Amino acid sequence: MTRLFKTLSIAVLAAFLAVPAALASPAAAEEEEFSAVHHNADSNYLDFKPFGIVELPRIFLVRRAGGSFGLDAYASTASALRSGGYRAKSGGHGGGSDSSSGEGGDHGSGDQGHGNVSPGHGGGGSAEAMIAEGSHLGATLVPAGGGHVVVDFSITKHLIFALLAALLVAGVFIALARRYKRGVGRETAPKGTWQNMLETVIVFVRDEMARPALGNNYRPYLPYILSVFFFILVCNLLGMVPFGATATSNITVTAVLAVFTFIVTQFNASSDHWKEVLGAEAPWWLAPIMIPIEIIGLFTKPFALAVRLFANMTAGHLVILSLIGLIFTMNDLFGASWGVFTGFASVAFSLFIFTLEILVAFIQAYVFAMLSALFIGMAIEDHGDGAAEMMDEADPSQPMQRDERRDISPSLLSGNHDEEEEELEQSDHSLQPAPA
Amino acid sequence: MNLLSPNWGLAFWLTLTFLILLFVLRRYAWGPIVSAMEEREKTIDSSIQRAEEALAEAKEIQADNEKARREAEQKAQRILREAREQAEQLRDEERQKTQEQIDEMKQQAHDEIEREKQSALNELRSEVADLAVQAAGKILHEDMNQDHQRRMVDEFLEDLPRN
Repeated sequence: MTRLFKTLSIAVLAAFLAVPAALASPAAAEEEEFSAVHHNADSNYLDFKPFGIVELPRIFLVRRAGGSFGLDAYASTASALRSGGYRAKSGGHGGGSDSSSGEGGDHGSGDQGHGNVSPGHGGGGSAEAMIAEGSHLGATLVPAGGGHVVVDFSITKHLIFALLAALLVAGVFIALARRYKRGVGRETAPKGTWQNMLETVIVFVRDEMARPALGNNYRPYLPYILSVFFFILVCNLLGMVPFGATATSNITVTAVLAVFTFIVTQFNASSDHWKEVLGAEAPWWLAPIMIPIEIIGLFTKPFALAVRLFANMTAGHLVILSLIGLIFTMNDLFGASWGVFTGFASVAFSLFIFTLEILVAFIQAYVFAMLSALFIGMAIEDHGDGAAEMMDEADPSQPMQRDERRDISPSLLSGNHDEEEEELEQSDHSLQPAPA
Repeated sequence: MNLLSPNWGLAFWLTLTFLILLFVLRRYAWGPIVSAMEEREKTIDSSIQRAEEALAEAKEIQADNEKARREAEQKAQRILREAREQAEQLRDEERQKTQEQIDEMKQQAHDEIEREKQSALNELRSEVADLAVQAAGKILHEDMNQDHQRRMVDEFLEDLPRN
């Protein structure tokens, strides 16, 4: 009971701290437009407000005016602008260009107005002004000397957090592996909170996800399932820490992960899988319907994986930001008392959504890894009856079939190399449609 | 940047990152961890099996021991009983032998006495005959033939009841 009161009093205190801050800043809110979507979107800087902002390196694969390709690298957006090699493209981002549209009139002198680039800011002086007011952060950069950016290889906020997650996962599990190598957990019982906790999760992934979905031949795929699970989990959780960002709330990140699953699935698929895709198991007159459906089905699975993870991880943050934003809205519309009242409600609701997000972080990591395992399991399975594919998968009464499944070499890594190649191919494709 | 716009540069870096992560984890983390866990599970399984086998074996040995103990007990009792019986028998035999000896000695003594008595009687008889003859000679003053007289006395004595 006393604990409940303690918790309540802290919540009330938090509300009291939050509400005056909200009331004090309507002017500030008008100055810099705050958008929940913008906050969730990727950016080229790390936001440590109120302590500051860390700009990230910009790397551009650029097609110069002469038609040749080049790679430009700068330490930050500001240095790219200061160097004169790049300038901000107007109309690129709302926040950046709106505030600077007033001074957009007297430009043009130093600009070589290119077809696809409507002239925005002027030369070096204007860039300094943008940097001073911070509007360069959201700006889209274009080469000042003509040409266009083919691929923006800039290090972004979400990449930083994905890297951080990868480092954390690698560090934690390599340290854990060293413990096992020493013999703790190999010959003896696992010792300590971390080892017990992580081992429980690893055993859960193995026994509840990989084994049921992949059958007895789960072993070659277990490392992939485990890696995906822990990487996504840590990415999700990094979004819950102060100054953190959720890398998995970026559609590109989730799409890359889904493409990995897709490639692992297709490269290990059994002949039965392809027969099914090509409609060999359906009556011939259904082929015109079945083949397109099956082929579309191949791609909808990873698409659904990517969108599900992205939407779930974005939604929680958007809801929290909207709830906080509601305080400002109510304050502006109905006055301070409404703002205070909404403050209490919003903080309580945000707390609820936040805890829900922690739950969702685990659930979505589980769902992504589980479905990856399931898709791989469906593709590698040799089965007699294609129509009952899903049923077979969940049916434990057919262990013999799983045993008979031909031993497919995992080729996880070879698949991944192909992924890299494909990635490069994709960049090649993006070269072609871009107009000079 | 838009929420839904794809970013090929990010995709490239992330692919690289994830590939390295997959490789590093597979090589240095999941391999040792999963193999260690499997090894441990196998050890535990075999330990349990061994313990069960040992338990069964111990129970068997215990049963054997119990049986052996019971048998030994029975044997001991049997030996004891036999010894007792033997001792009894031996005593009986001893007693019987002693008895026989005693009887024999008694018999011998008896015979001896009988013999002594007989010889004494005979002596007495001859003595008495002599005395009678002397007495009769004296009475009859008749000198009879010693041998003839003697025969007459013997016949007389034979006619006398025994004892």
